[in-house]
Amino acid sequence: MPTTETARPASHSHEELLFQVMVLALAAIAGLGCWFAATALSHHDALRGLAPDKPRQLVDFALTDSTGRTVTRGEMDGKVLAVSFLFTGCGLTCPEVSRHMAEIQRLTTNQPGVRLVSLTVDPRSDTPPVLAKWGARFGADTNRWLMLTGHKAQVEQLIGASFLASDPGDPFNSMPGNFAGTERIALVDKHGRVRIYFDGLRAEAPAAVVAKMGELEKEN
Amino acid sequence: MLALGGCKPKPPAAATNAAPKTHAVRGVVQSVAPDQRHALIRHEAIPDYMAAMTMNFSARDPGVLDGISAGDQITFTLAVTETNDWIENVQRVGRTNAFGLSGPPGWHIAEPELEVGDALPDHEFTDEHCRPVRFADFRGRAVAFTFFFTSCPLPDYCPRMNRNFAAARKLLLTAANAPTNWQFLSISFDASFDTPPMLSSYAQLYRGDDTNRWLFAVASTNTLASLAPKVDLTVWREGGTLSHNMRTIVLDPAGRIFRQFDGNEWTPEQLADAVGAAAREPAR
Repeated sequence: MPTTETARPASHSHEELLFQVMVLALAAIAGLGCWFAATALSHHDALRGLAPDKPRQLVDFALTDSTGRTVTRGEMDGKVLAVSFLFTGCGLTCPEVSRHMAEIQRLTTNQPGVRLVSLTVDPRSDTPPVLAKWGARFGADTNRWLMLTGHKAQVEQLIGASFLASDPGDPFNSMPGNFAGTERIALVDKHGRVRIYFDGLRAEAPAAVVAKMGELEKEN
Repeated sequence: MLALGGCKPKPPAAATNAAPKTHAVRGVVQSVAPDQRHALIRHEAIPDYMAAMTMNFSARDPGVLDGISAGDQITFTLAVTETNDWIENVQRVGRTNAFGLSGPPGWHIAEPELEVGDALPDHEFTDEHCRPVRFADFRGRAVAFTFFFTSCPLPDYCPRMNRNFAAARKLLLTAANAPTNWQFLSISFDASFDTPPMLSSYAQLYRGDDTNRWLFAVASTNTLASLAPKVDLTVWREGGTLSHNMRTIVLDPAGRIFRQFDGNEWTPEQLADAVGAAAREPAR
């Protein structure tokens, strides 16, 4: 059985604040702050969202969720999805995006046609029990917010084919797998089409995602 | 501040107003930041100061990087004070199309991930005594290595790796029938901050005064670019800190991967068992 821990509210805990202070201090020491290759979308784009770089469709997959259950593409048919990316060794971006995913989960409690999906980009580390711990930290409801892992090649195939372009740049300046835009939240319509991305780091993201998901749910 | 892999003792703190120490350096520009004040440069070894590596440098004065772009072969002066460092006098001396893509390990290399039983190609690090150390130095011994950085703020991450190493070492040193041909190696992936003196004082926290069979070292950026993909290690320079996953590898006496521990949910007993079993494998 996966280990669980008490869910914490989706807010900045003392521990996290302390961590952020340390991070700021480190940034000052290292002098790297201005060099951070941010891929975040502009303020304007964040509110509007970003279209896919090419037509993208949710491809077939069979992966394992944080409870150890096999989840397949077929289960997503007819559902509107918000999809994010993470690895549990990630200290800044992924917790922030997961906090926003938790907010989306809360705001869509009464929408049975909505699912949240988080794909790990470090599947060898992020086994189901490790993802269960991460999910518990953000209050994930394992019936509605699925955290998926599996063989590295299969996970990378799904992310690369359906969601993100690869980033051929500095391997140490992007998340594992060298995908571009791992801070994004992708929205998938009832027919498995990737429709739009929002910058998952922005505070406005949950509201923008929920509004757009409402529109997608009304489509046939 | 850029602490660098410097192996020279630092000047005394009172020397704040002293003239900067300067180093003449050659390198190839990998990229110039849009602000024209920072450049990623793959540079040659700086005698008595830093191994050859690829890293970011800052231009203190405007205009220093004017006309410089990726692929330029340059000479420059690296000026270092107690609290700051910068580059100046940047001269373009040639042009290459080979930046990043070939030559010594660059940015774009995709190394295949290795599996248990595969031989791990040799890699060189700088140890806490400022000496080069390679996996091949330990042929005939089982080697357990893990990765960390000294500024790692999360107790369950790097500190846990080194705590586990401390406990596993104790088990192997004290067990009656344990083999004696083994070595632990803790490798920092933060070459810009974890200097040998830093490693040495950090090691003291986990190792105490008994340095037997446990060495701390630091990987240059280029070494990391080659080694990390082979063992599925991820290091991400995220907002001025480092996000990373955890990989702990046990090599047999012939340098083959014997066991890999992913993440942090393994115990010192498991590591000690794996090292003990690996040590009994043949040395070729």
